Amino acid sequence: MNARIRNLGLAFIVMYAVLFAQLNRVQFVQADEYTEHEGNIRPQLRAFGQERGDIVTADGVVAALSLPVEAGEIDFRREYPTDELYAHVVGFQSLNQGAFGLERQYNEELAGDRLDQKFESLSDLFRDRDTTGTVVMTLRDDIQRAAAEALGERKGSVVAVDPATGEILALWTYPSFDPNLLSGLDGAAVNAAYTSLLNDPDDPLLAKSFRELFFPGSTFKLVTAAAALDLGGITLTDPVWPDTDRYEPLPSGLPIRNFGGSTCGGDLLLALQRSCNATFGEIGAEWLGPDAMIRTAEKFGFNADPVIDLPDAARSRFPTDYGAFIAPLDAYQPEGSEELRNGETPIHENSAILAQAAIGQNDVKATPLQMAMVAAAIANDGLMMTPHVVSEVRSADGGIYSTVEPTSWRPALSPFAADRLQAAMINVAEIGTATRMQVDGLTVGGKTGTAQLGTTPASSHAWVVGFAGLPGQEAEIAVAVIVEAQPGASEQTGGSVAAPIAKAVIEAAFGLGG
Amino acid sequence: MTATERRPAVRPQIAALHPRRVELGLIALIAIVVVSAYGLASLGQSASVPANIGPFLAWMLGLFFFIHLAVRRFAPAADPVLLPMALLLNGFGYVMIARLGGDVNGGGDLAALQSVWTAVGIAGFVVTLVVVPRVRALAQYRYLLGICGVGLLALPLVPGAGVEINGARIWVSISYLNFQPGEFAKIALAIFFASYLVDAGGLIKNRIEIRDLAPIGVAWAASIGVMVLEKDLGSSMLVFALFVVLMWVATERTMFLGLGAAMFLAGGVIALQIFSHVERRIDSWLDPWSDPQDAGFQIIQATYSMAEGGLTGTGLGRGEPDRVPFAETDFIFAAIGEEMGLAGTTAVLMAFLILIGSGLRIAIRATRPFEKLLAVGLTTLLGIQAFIIMGGVVRLIPLTGITLPFVSYGGSALVSNYIVLALLIRLSHEQRTVTPAAQGSTR
Repeated sequence: MNARIRNLGLAFIVMYAVLFAQLNRVQFVQADEYTEHEGNIRPQLRAFGQERGDIVTADGVVAALSLPVEAGEIDFRREYPTDELYAHVVGFQSLNQGAFGLERQYNEELAGDRLDQKFESLSDLFRDRDTTGTVVMTLRDDIQRAAAEALGERKGSVVAVDPATGEILALWTYPSFDPNLLSGLDGAAVNAAYTSLLNDPDDPLLAKSFRELFFPGSTFKLVTAAAALDLGGITLTDPVWPDTDRYEPLPSGLPIRNFGGSTCGGDLLLALQRSCNATFGEIGAEWLGPDAMIRTAEKFGFNADPVIDLPDAARSRFPTDYGAFIAPLDAYQPEGSEELRNGETPIHENSAILAQAAIGQNDVKATPLQMAMVAAAIANDGLMMTPHVVSEVRSADGGIYSTVEPTSWRPALSPFAADRLQAAMINVAEIGTATRMQVDGLTVGGKTGTAQLGTTPASSHAWVVGFAGLPGQEAEIAVAVIVEAQPGASEQTGGSVAAPIAKAVIEAAFGLGG
Repeated sequence: MTATERRPAVRPQIAALHPRRVELGLIALIAIVVVSAYGLASLGQSASVPANIGPFLAWMLGLFFFIHLAVRRFAPAADPVLLPMALLLNGFGYVMIARLGGDVNGGGDLAALQSVWTAVGIAGFVVTLVVVPRVRALAQYRYLLGICGVGLLALPLVPGAGVEINGARIWVSISYLNFQPGEFAKIALAIFFASYLVDAGGLIKNRIEIRDLAPIGVAWAASIGVMVLEKDLGSSMLVFALFVVLMWVATERTMFLGLGAAMFLAGGVIALQIFSHVERRIDSWLDPWSDPQDAGFQIIQATYSMAEGGLTGTGLGRGEPDRVPFAETDFIFAAIGEEMGLAGTTAVLMAFLILIGSGLRIAIRATRPFEKLLAVGLTTLLGIQAFIIMGGVVRLIPLTGITLPFVSYGGSALVSNYIVLALLIRLSHEQRTVTPAAQGSTR
């Protein structure tokens, strides 16, 4: 009998070993898969029904809060008193669509799930304490409201940032949505609202300010100018390009024409003031070449993973492939000519594309946030700070759980080049294309852009980027404004449509006007 | 005695570490674990230490110490790990039931009831030790026990007494007393099978005659038939497995395993034809997600629950095990998996393996066939029952509702499992008292 009993023991060991293997499958190997299962409402419901901390603006306006629910298995629901104003930043928390924005990014802090929140001291083991965290945004309600009002019901985005800290002061996109429609307890109503928002051709759910890419147009000339100052041996006043209406790219390609067939030229200061396409196309292709342009664009954050503390930010891009190297520029120079250009600039098969990229066309794409950061880096003497929308997380009793310290993201350009570009941008705002963003009593710098989309009918994105500060002091705000798909294609579009919005934002930031 | 004479005595002294002292140490350790778990579950739920932690501690330590003293008094030589493993499982189960009670309306009563049932179970354990001084004595009541077993099984079918709860008619309600007679029937049947096979086993081993198999066949068929009528598939499988294992061990004929498997398959196919709920169980085992709101609901919720737990669990009191239906009874293993993770479920698994190992060691050490078979039978009851429900919950085998021994909520189950434990401990004590006596005489 003992042999049978031993076999029985073996059989039990095998049975339990198989059981153990299956347990490992359910609880470890496939656990994540099950947790993310469509029908598994545990993660959402847990997050949804819990009390969460408020989300407030830097100036104390409550953008999200939890309200107790009397009946049912859900204890708290989320309300957004500012409706659509902060929807793209705060996001929302829904029963069946998950969480978006800060509600997602700061889920643990809001819910009080982080260990340091749960146990501030040993005594927390023995008492019931509100551990939820209040998330304080860097956004200022006055600036955000001014941005929304100034843009009005035109599709577009406004980004304002503190150049010295990277704190985002305003982040607005029209159209936006009402997050209260998506945070309700009625799952069917929420789903219907979500579906209708999803099917809206204007895509109000999408925070285009940092999640959508646009042609930056002439605002990108700031990057080309930075490359010219840092790497191209060019100053604001030397050389001086002769007036022309086009640039014929090497080795071949469509000519780059100025807006409306106009002629322009001059030194870098004047070319920037007039936003001269031909000049900047030539600088990109024949003075700088692919390496210098790519290096500078990437120092400004193009082709890099965005660092903002919000989910799903889009990566701005600058083309990197220009085909095979053909010859240095000298090979194209007529014998004995006294050209201004740097004879060693490498010419590639597709250098014509580089000429287009240098004026923000072809495959250059940037988020409005990216362009605001370009202006901010110039205003901050070349150093680009890490953009962020949250400054600190506070405890329910007013203490501080964590603070976001300003950190530098990357050195975008040299302090010298930044200083020169600040002067050039101030010049543009004084007598160039961006005069409409000028504010009395402030030093304002700007650069407009008009990114053409098509010709039938003619339409273009109107851009402006810039900065403002008290005279003789560092700039306190950098802005980027884009108004999408405006009729017409004049270089004036950016200045006439976008610049007044930037002006309103700057005035709000300094407590002036309206 | 001189020092040189003492030296060879050192090894035997270590070997003869008193089993009760080992047991006391293990019980103390388990008491610490269970009380900590109880406190943590409350902290996890409401961030407060339970107000009744003092009385709870005293009550539990009292029960643990009482049962230990009883073993010390009535079965001092018994195996030292059996009881601590059962107490660990019982303690884990209680903590989960108490923790679940906090979330379910009126469920707070369940924890109080379970603590009463634990006390009753421990009383049943002690009474069993007292009234069964020699296990062999049970063999003489085999036919009485056989009849009782079948009778107890059939009791829920008696009109007026039986009650159908959650689709299975396995309850008996006499005035205010509800109990599941099947839990006790399985012990009576194990004793009957063991003792009958001791007599008939030798015969069957040589040549099989229908006459020899008749009584045991009738008992088996009756029990299976009754359970199928009561729609209690889990217990049906359990008694079937018990029967086949005992036949195989007693006769040493592998043929019976094959025959058992064939009969099981045949039974399964027939059940599939006759009962719609069997087909549902199979379907929800193969693909629960084909009917996630109905047939597959329980098993899917259990899977999500255990997946949520991961390796180390959500922490006691921090999960939502109450999302799984019957979390206090059939699905308590999932609740443990959610809040204590793979670590917790593995601990439960190991505790059962140790129980099985100890039980089978008792069987191997036993010198007489009846004791051997009974130890095998009782161990099989615990081991298979635990496997059926744990395997069902993790979707290794089709789910059949049955309690997880010592862990699930339920008075009848707890009391009957403590009786099984008492019989194993009695068997262990009997065989160990022979050996030390022999050693003592040689010294």
